[in-house]
Amino acid sequence: MLKKFYEDMTRALEAQYEQKPRAFTKINIQLFQSFIDAFKEDARVVWTSYYSFPMELLAAFDIAPFDFEIATNLLPMMDPDGSVKIMSRAEEEGYSTDLCSFHRLAIGCQMLGYMPKADLLLSSSFFCDGKARTNQILAHFYDKESITLDVPNRVDGNSIEYVAAQLKYIARRLEETAGHKLDPERLRESIAASCRARSAYGRLADIQKEKPYSWNGSIALNMSIFGNMLAGRPIQERLYQDLVDECRSKLDSGKVPPEKYRVLWLAWFPPQPTVINEVFRKNGVNIVMGELERIFWDEMDEQRPWESMAMWCLKNPYVGPAGQRLAGIEKIIEEYDIDGVIHFSTDACRHSCAAHRLIADVLQKRNVPFMVLEGDMSDKRKYSEDRTRFLLESFIDLMAARK
Amino acid sequence: MRKAAGKIGYFCSLVPEEIIVAAGMKPVRIRGEAETTSDADGYLYHNLCPYIKNVMSTALEGGARHLNGVVFARSCDGMRRMYDAWKSYIGTGFVYMLDAPKNTDDRAVSYFASQLKGFAQALGIASGKEITPASLSKAIQTTGKLRRSMQQIFSLQQSALLPVEGSELFKLGLSVFGDDRETASGKIDALYQQARTARAKRSNSCKPRILISGNVMDRADLFEIIEAAGAEVPASDLCTGLRYFTRNVDGEKDDPYIALARAYLGEPHCSRTASPVQRAQEIQKLVETYSIDGVLLTSLKFCDQHLYDVPYITKALADKNIPVLFLENDYTFTNKGQMKVRVEAFIEVLNERGN
Repeated sequence: MLKKFYEDMTRALEAQYEQKPRAFTKINIQLFQSFIDAFKEDARVVWTSYYSFPMELLAAFDIAPFDFEIATNLLPMMDPDGSVKIMSRAEEEGYSTDLCSFHRLAIGCQMLGYMPKADLLLSSSFFCDGKARTNQILAHFYDKESITLDVPNRVDGNSIEYVAAQLKYIARRLEETAGHKLDPERLRESIAASCRARSAYGRLADIQKEKPYSWNGSIALNMSIFGNMLAGRPIQERLYQDLVDECRSKLDSGKVPPEKYRVLWLAWFPPQPTVINEVFRKNGVNIVMGELERIFWDEMDEQRPWESMAMWCLKNPYVGPAGQRLAGIEKIIEEYDIDGVIHFSTDACRHSCAAHRLIADVLQKRNVPFMVLEGDMSDKRKYSEDRTRFLLESFIDLMAARK
Repeated sequence: MRKAAGKIGYFCSLVPEEIIVAAGMKPVRIRGEAETTSDADGYLYHNLCPYIKNVMSTALEGGARHLNGVVFARSCDGMRRMYDAWKSYIGTGFVYMLDAPKNTDDRAVSYFASQLKGFAQALGIASGKEITPASLSKAIQTTGKLRRSMQQIFSLQQSALLPVEGSELFKLGLSVFGDDRETASGKIDALYQQARTARAKRSNSCKPRILISGNVMDRADLFEIIEAAGAEVPASDLCTGLRYFTRNVDGEKDDPYIALARAYLGEPHCSRTASPVQRAQEIQKLVETYSIDGVLLTSLKFCDQHLYDVPYITKALADKNIPVLFLENDYTFTNKGQMKVRVEAFIEVLNERGN
């Protein structure tokens, strides 16, 4: 079922690309193709987390990476009712509705036999407790090893060494899975490609500072989550540069609609259909940046690949005390001329939701309007269109009053 | 910080009390004492576990003023966020986040040992008493002695003739987490002597034996519900039960920090540091050791670490023909009435199986 969904999506996207070649369409094709590859019989499939695992390491191996969260949670985008049915399968088995819908959906897909095989399962201890836990649960179905990359709470010599040592261990396990040794030169190339892509991504982030905003905020937010699947591959830089060129060309054409309000979006953007984009479009609101969209990591050093990948993990805004996250939010407000901040709170996302008060205090000092928008990423049962519309329109009124 | 008899609060069993004792401070396991958690709602999101919310409410009401400091561990997402809120809104003098690894292999042990050293240094500075290898070694011994005393009673609980009621033993265990450890220690020794003789006197019990397995619990309500319904609780696989008291630190062989790290990341595991498969295996071991008839799994609401495990553990135990009941709790057991009904039905099932 999943495989057919990916194949249908890929065909549709390819047709779309032929009509209108756009970089983001190409990125989506790459994403769906990665899922299709995981179903190939001879593939060595490594389940991982595109957004919280240094994909540069995986790019140095002949394996098919597969992100169970992203792969399954694209379903609600097209079929929210069907997704609820799949989640219900996990709930019947005892997985509480208090757990993240991302994970209930993935476990449900597994129980219904929709998933590809797994040869090795990798996860990381950030962003949340649930992801690594789900990885362990899913590993059990295949009787395969599940490894959690444990990322400490602080950045110092010990923690860098600890994460780097784990990555080296994981590389050995990847060698066994892929059936070939790690080529240090290939890893260095992967790191170098990632650095070039970072530069292009920086240019993309810079162009969003210009007014009016020239891209699509919700797409940009989601790309910041799954775009990392391409890390370590030369195509990532090319596609990011294409996005920059597309934005520049739109700005130069003068055809970008005028904007009234610039919003910073915190945490996640729901894949399930919502009225968010519709309300924003009607009211001239642009999501110009997301907290996970900004470049939070330092440039990697290809001569020190292990430490560089460790630092990528350790510098994530959701690792460590909330101060790291708050500093990032303040930086974006300064750089992007933000009119308001919205935190999308999916109920089971405890690590992101629990910092609301701290964020509210920081924003109050800056006199920036802030709203917590409650909803759910993938579970239609926990989403209310009327409530979402009402809250967003009220928030727009608030931004208007402050302007 | 006061230098004499200061109290250091902590939240999670991953915080080695030995280091606090070595600094000349009293370790106190922090419990929530608020009647409602509405105070915390303004500071922490509603979807956090009721233990965290209750502790935060207690602290906001001034319930942490008697502490000279608090130590958090990177236990879970909720604790990490409470640390942030505590630092900003509670302001206990010494607030420390101990970076406890999620994994338990040698790399994790070595990293944890480095973090424990850092914690000892920071606490030494804050308390004004440097922690030396000798003071740490002594603290390992005294804390170990207390745990071993309790383990002696646990051994007696393995026999068919349960010498001590589960609720009584659990409450005694809870008293160790308070600030009068000497008195608690004396009571443990006295209870052991009493239990040895009681074992010989009691007649054989036909009551079903239930293992309570879950996370943090510092009220005996569930034990009392089970006992009132006609069953016994020989053991409790809880952060405040077996998991605290059966942790043995071998301070003789290793560097003391390595020994502590190894012991605290080792068995018995909680859901945070073990996979669901390991957890199920450890519970099965307890079922055999304590001749358990049924397992009552319980979890605080919104505790991801435990809630993700429940379906797997339930199935794994059921496959071994071990009856399981799962009950969520809200930390203060406001839903006692419903729990009572479920527990009574469970015991009826166990009785029927026994006949």
